[in-house]
This record gives sequence, structure tokens and C-alpha cells, in this order.
Amino acid sequence: MDFQGILDRLTAIRAPGLVASDEPRQADPKDKKDKGRAGDPFVIVDAQQLAEFVRACRDDDRLHFEQLVDLTATDPSKDAAELWINVQLLSLKFRHRLAIKALLPKTAASLPSLVPVHRASQWHERECAEMFGIRFVGHPDPRNILLPDDWAGHPLRKDYEFPKEYHGISCE
Amino acid sequence: MLSLQNQFEENVLTTRVDWLINWARLSSIWPMTFGLACCAIEMMAVGAAHHDIDRFGAGAFRASPRQADLMIVAGTVNFKMAERVKKLYDQMPSPKYVIAMGACATGGGPYYKYGYTVVKGVDRVIPVDVYIAGCPPRPEALLEGLMKLQEKIRTSSVVRKPARLA
Repeated sequence: MDFQGILDRLTAIRAPGLVASDEPRQADPKDKKDKGRAGDPFVIVDAQQLAEFVRACRDDDRLHFEQLVDLTATDPSKDAAELWINVQLLSLKFRHRLAIKALLPKTAASLPSLVPVHRASQWHERECAEMFGIRFVGHPDPRNILLPDDWAGHPLRKDYEFPKEYHGISCE
Repeated sequence: MLSLQNQFEENVLTTRVDWLINWARLSSIWPMTFGLACCAIEMMAVGAAHHDIDRFGAGAFRASPRQADLMIVAGTVNFKMAERVKKLYDQMPSPKYVIAMGACATGGGPYYKYGYTVVKGVDRVIPVDVYIAGCPPRPEALLEGLMKLQEKIRTSSVVRKPARLA
């Protein structure tokens, strides 16, 4: 199924939390500031309903997204009010993919964990949690995965300040 | 009765104790089995047949720091690892030597500016004898570093006090 087909199906089954879709487009030749958009088409989903949305994608017979390929986050800029959660789904049965983006306010970066739907998201969520300070409610093992346990701050946030020293070792 | 007259000249060599100890030490520098990043791949190549670190008596990679004389810090040292590196160094028996292999172990390398978890040189944690440049260094460079370390050991002194320290 192509993206339009997936989108129609998501609308038809009333997938929870579906907000909008975004597709790449050519730049408008009359507008010099318009650069168009490259990349893949994606759907925008309400972050609080992301887990239910992914569950609906997995359980539907025609979509059958049985594999979670990637879950990560992006901090677009220092001034942005929201983080992006990026999810990539793959259907091995139908050989189609879906990119999902969910917006999450930085002041209340918390959403339900995807682990009950896809166990593959365990380590991805742990990495998101330590790198961006996102809280995944219901995660079975919310420890740091890469950073030391007592690390302060979330390094991939754009407003992150590098530490001066760690356990007596100078960082400069 | 067998005469021992003139037998010593043919069978006994005379030398200095320092020379003998240094010769023993530099001819059997046993490294620790210990790699942190891509430099470790080059270190493995040095251990393999083509470059053959055994020619220098340093091919016996020990699985325990208690049996090792040399720590080749082959790769990026991050803060989480730094404490373990220090602990392993402390567990090695003296005399012990450290080679900082590659740009990361020498001074942070490509992670110098934005690597928030990378120690900017392993010499901030443990003392280093030989630094090897490269990212990663070629196997020949590691052998060169080993020979530099052997030179250093050759000039060290156990019994005799250094002649003119001041």
C-alpha cells in the first residue's frame, strides 16, 4: 500500500489520535523563499494517544504494521516549545512503511510507553528518556541505558550545557 | 679430579644487574586484553600473523590485569569507562606501563569539542608513557610505540641511582 492508501485506511478505521498528514512537495517556482519539502510523507499523531495509534496500526488486518523499526526524538531548536517523537513502522507482510511524528511540549514531556504494544521500543525509550528528558509512563525498566546513572542533564536537548567536571575529571 | 681452571671464561657472561633486569622487562611486555573502540581492531591486527607483535615479546595478551605489564588504551575513553580504566590500572602489578593509542586516548580526538561524555585524554585519569598519533594508528605505528616504550625501559634504572638528576 502507498502512503495515500495507508492514510485512507487509517481514516476509515478511525485510528485514535490521528491529527494530520504531511507529504513532500516541490518548491513553488514563483516564491523564491519556498524550498519545498524533501523526505518521506508522515502522519502527525497526538502524543498521548501514540501508543493506541501504534496498536491500531499493528492490529488492523490491512495495515499489519507488526514491526517497530525505530523510535527516537528530535529537539528542533532552542526556542521551540515542542519536542518531536519520531516512530517508524514496518509491515513485513505487506512491505509498506509508515513514519509517525508526535509533538510533545517540553514543559510536560511525558507520554504513555509503547512497550505494551511493541517490546522493541524498550531500549529506544530509555535512550529518549536520558537524552531528551522524556518520561515514558509505564516503562518496565526506566534506567539510563548509555549515560552513567548519576548523569545530570539531557545531552541532546538544544539548551544542554556541557558539564565542567565529572567525578573529579575535568571536562575542558 | 676435574679441574675448573679456565672454565668460567667460556661459560659465564658478566653484565650489570640493571641491564639484565631491563632486558628481561623490555623483552616480555605482556599487554592486557583490553580494547575500547576502533583502535582495538588495529591492535588485534598487530597481534595477528601479518604484523605479529610476538616478535617483540609482547604477544601474550593477558586476560587479567594482575598478570599484565602494559595497558594499551586503544580507543575512546568516556566518563563511564574512565573509572573502570583507573581500577584496572590500579590492579596491575608494578612495573606497569601505559600506551595511549590513537587520537581519542591521547586527547579526546574528534570528540574534543562536542563529546560531552568523552574524557579529553586518558592521561587525566592514569599516567601515560607513550602516546601514539593516528585515528586509528596503523599497526606499524603501534609497533613503533612499543619500541619507544622498550627504549624507555632500557634507559631505566633499578639498582644504580641515576647519575645526574639535578
